[in-house]
Amino acid sequence: MKKTGLIFFPAFDWAISETHPEREERLLYTRDQIFEEGILDNPKILEYKPRLATNNDINRVHFCVPDVDSQTTSAHFISAGSSLKLGDALVNGEIKNGFALVRPPGHHAMRIVHGNRGFCNINNEAILVEYLRAKYGFKKIAIVDTDVHHGDGTQDIFYHDPDVLFISVHQDGRTLYPGSGFVDEAGGPGAHLKTINIPLPPGTTDEGFLSVCRQIIKPALAVFQPELIINSAGQDNHFTDPLANMKVTAQGYAKLTEELKPDLAVLEGGYAIETALPYVNLSILLALAGEDYSKVVEPQYKPHELKQSPETTRYITQIINYWQEKLAQDAPDKESLFGPNRIYTRRRNIYYDTDQISEEQQEFVEYCPDCPGLYRVISGAKKAYGRDYRIWGISIPLYACPHCRHRAYELWGEELQKKSIGNGAYDFYCLQDK
Amino acid sequence: MHIGVDVGGTYTDGVIIDHDRVIQTVKIPTKKNLAHSIELVIAQLAANNGAENIDKIVISTTLITNLLAEKKHESVGLLLLPGPGVNPADLNFVCPTVVIRGAVDYRGRIIVEADLREVQQAVEGMLAKGINSIAVACKFSQRNPVLENKVIEYLGQSYPRVITIASHRVSGLLNWLRRANGAALTLMISEKYHFFIRQIEESLAKMKICCPIYVLKADGGTLPLELALQYPLESVFSGPAASALGALAFADKNITSVVMDIGGTTTDLAIILNGVPLLSERGAFIDNYPIPVRGLALTSLALGGDTSITAQNGRVSLGPRKGQAYCLGGPRLTITDILVYLGKSDISSSEEVVGALGELAGSLGRKPQEIAAEVIDIFMDTLEAKLEEMFHKWEEEPAYHIWQVLSQQKKRPAAIICLGGPADGLGALWGERKGWDVQIPPYSPVANAIGAALAKTTLRLELHADTEQMRYSTNLGSVGGPLATKLKNTDEAKQFALSIFRELSDKWSLEKDYTGNIPETIYEESFNLIRDWHTSGKIFQIGLQTPSGIQTVLHPCSKKAPEGGAKQ
Repeated sequence: MKKTGLIFFPAFDWAISETHPEREERLLYTRDQIFEEGILDNPKILEYKPRLATNNDINRVHFCVPDVDSQTTSAHFISAGSSLKLGDALVNGEIKNGFALVRPPGHHAMRIVHGNRGFCNINNEAILVEYLRAKYGFKKIAIVDTDVHHGDGTQDIFYHDPDVLFISVHQDGRTLYPGSGFVDEAGGPGAHLKTINIPLPPGTTDEGFLSVCRQIIKPALAVFQPELIINSAGQDNHFTDPLANMKVTAQGYAKLTEELKPDLAVLEGGYAIETALPYVNLSILLALAGEDYSKVVEPQYKPHELKQSPETTRYITQIINYWQEKLAQDAPDKESLFGPNRIYTRRRNIYYDTDQISEEQQEFVEYCPDCPGLYRVISGAKKAYGRDYRIWGISIPLYACPHCRHRAYELWGEELQKKSIGNGAYDFYCLQDK
Repeated sequence: MHIGVDVGGTYTDGVIIDHDRVIQTVKIPTKKNLAHSIELVIAQLAANNGAENIDKIVISTTLITNLLAEKKHESVGLLLLPGPGVNPADLNFVCPTVVIRGAVDYRGRIIVEADLREVQQAVEGMLAKGINSIAVACKFSQRNPVLENKVIEYLGQSYPRVITIASHRVSGLLNWLRRANGAALTLMISEKYHFFIRQIEESLAKMKICCPIYVLKADGGTLPLELALQYPLESVFSGPAASALGALAFADKNITSVVMDIGGTTTDLAIILNGVPLLSERGAFIDNYPIPVRGLALTSLALGGDTSITAQNGRVSLGPRKGQAYCLGGPRLTITDILVYLGKSDISSSEEVVGALGELAGSLGRKPQEIAAEVIDIFMDTLEAKLEEMFHKWEEEPAYHIWQVLSQQKKRPAAIICLGGPADGLGALWGERKGWDVQIPPYSPVANAIGAALAKTTLRLELHADTEQMRYSTNLGSVGGPLATKLKNTDEAKQFALSIFRELSDKWSLEKDYTGNIPETIYEESFNLIRDWHTSGKIFQIGLQTPSGIQTVLHPCSKKAPEGGAKQ
């Protein structure tokens, strides 16, 4: 009998601050419910002890400014490490799937980390994906983000990676943090349509949630043929969530899990700590283990209040049609997407809500016919407190061609030389070789 | 003087201990009536040493296991009030169940009122099937027992002849399934257990023994006999605890070690950390039913002294017990015979087994010494694998706090205390192989009785207090209720926990003489309840315990204390 692995790490001794939604109390009632059910005595569920991720695991994904240790606490290392441990157990064949029921969350953490964004410092799923690929030689992995907030951090990290399909289903960015995740953010020129955003209108219910799963997510996965599926299992689409406006239930989440069949699920957001989390976490766990979840019904559940309006349904149908058409089209060739200069550049400002940091960033991705191409970034941040740093970074993709790899070290060397003669414009020069 | 009695399947052992000396040991075949076996053993020990000198008796018995094996499961039913969650039909309940409307949530708030019409229907159905004892189990009843109490009260009024019990009376463990099974099993055995305890009390009274009597618990602690009636399940699986404590009797007080108890067909392994037996992470199972009792973290090898050795498909094969050792007249060669052959056991001389071993080796075209070495290797390899599995499980115990994950790596034992017939031989061979410190304690045949005699009384209290709901609950059955005052901080919560602990320790007769009755704090934590950005209350979790272990390390040499030395 193949088991479902569980790491439950409620971090009962860690909080962003005393009254912050991301505090000790967040998984207390989930603990109560899961323990009281006796579900941990079920031989189909195997509980693991968390472990720490290493600096290497984090550096493989992020440019932490000025370094990993100043952007993380032990809780971050454990939360990220828990997913890695389940990843190992999955690859070793100990478990058939796994649930990292951990905090703090990570899906708003982008490639460059100047501070905390949307309660996140480092990206648990991205660290997991790069770990599994670097350690075990996986190539194609899909991440399906079902948190109500757009998984902008994960999107950012894999935006130019043709081997990672990132799908985010979330409440429309015009009505909710972080204000992104529209359909036109669909991957860089080298990873065209490897980012799929499904913004849903406020008031979406189980019906809408499941129909996009069946009609966009599942078909997209079927085409992509990932070796692994990872679910960023945020639970704030729940009808009682205080920070969002959706109407999904524990049953809806469980059905989605059952149909999506993720290899690993990692908890993200969800701040209805009493009315949603105990029930949604339980129902996801049961769905992963193949157990009956039909009796996990929230006390607040009133079917007549959770009807989807015809307007909402119409809107969702439009999105489904949009994506079905888009995914059926022939992909344009990569070279033409990069344009005549054969380089992709983007300049943008990123705001860190939690830490009140304003980052200014410029990215460059080079066209390469043989690999995803070199990624370069320069970034500086204005902070409300603490020192401002400027950073120069270059990232060699995991499956880079020898030419690009060689060139990356050359470019890095040149920058370091400039710095050594006092001509450097940046505080830090980072090279990321996955 | 303390008496320890261990009732095993075959023998009932007794030992009397004066301070740090074993004065006398007794071994008799176990009678069908267990109370009678106990009485016989105590009578012999009392006759020589004086009933008036006995100040404590601790009994370890398989009675509960025997009673449960009689499988009177059909006469008990469970009324379940699950509320939202896992489908009860998928859970491993020990007896027939009926689901009733009514639910309490994790904060102890009533979500759905209990439906007494449904209770009535369910009970009528159960009565029709011959069920006359009913346990009631509501999820989160330890946080608020009101629905369980309401159903019990209704049953008492409408069906006075039905025997009932509420799950929160049996245990406060945060595991509904285990509490429900605990309540049902308690109903199944309580009548006979009651009778057993009365028998013991009467026979001791006849012998004019009036000291406190305790039963040994699965976790190696002891429980006063009168409380054993309330918590009968606690004494299940006390055998392995008795053996682990017995193994410690002559060891260093703070030893970290493995205990290996080698029986005829199986070998049990336990871990001792700083003189305290390691408990299982989640709890014990009876058959496949989870129960609200924690026993030792045990691992077993399906190999023992009488494991038979045969040639199969051209290879040496270890198989089940066919009888006792060949050198003692048994039908087949056994592991014990190999030890005799190797000069590692003195129960017989090697000439007794040379012939049979030569024959077996000949049939495989090999030399006898090769066969002997291979048998020992198989045992040692199996032992090594099992130890690895057990250590791994211990090291991988789930952790819910940062400090637990960051705390230093657990240090594995490198010592082994061996009990049982072939203990000397196999222990010595393990020591040679791994360089471990090997100890073979004296009085090994009555180690369990010694363990019982030396066991400390233990108490573990886990307080959960919610200052918004103004209620508290604990891991112990029947201990919980409304909070009289609003606890303001962790210190106040801890003081409150300590006050409950002190009250209980009187009831539980915790020895006053060790650690001054000050329990160790296992954890203390507080959670701010933030509603609309304001603190609306706090939840405190405080864990206190006195760990299990032995009261005194014994002196190994003399049975009789020298004149004048006995009373110091």
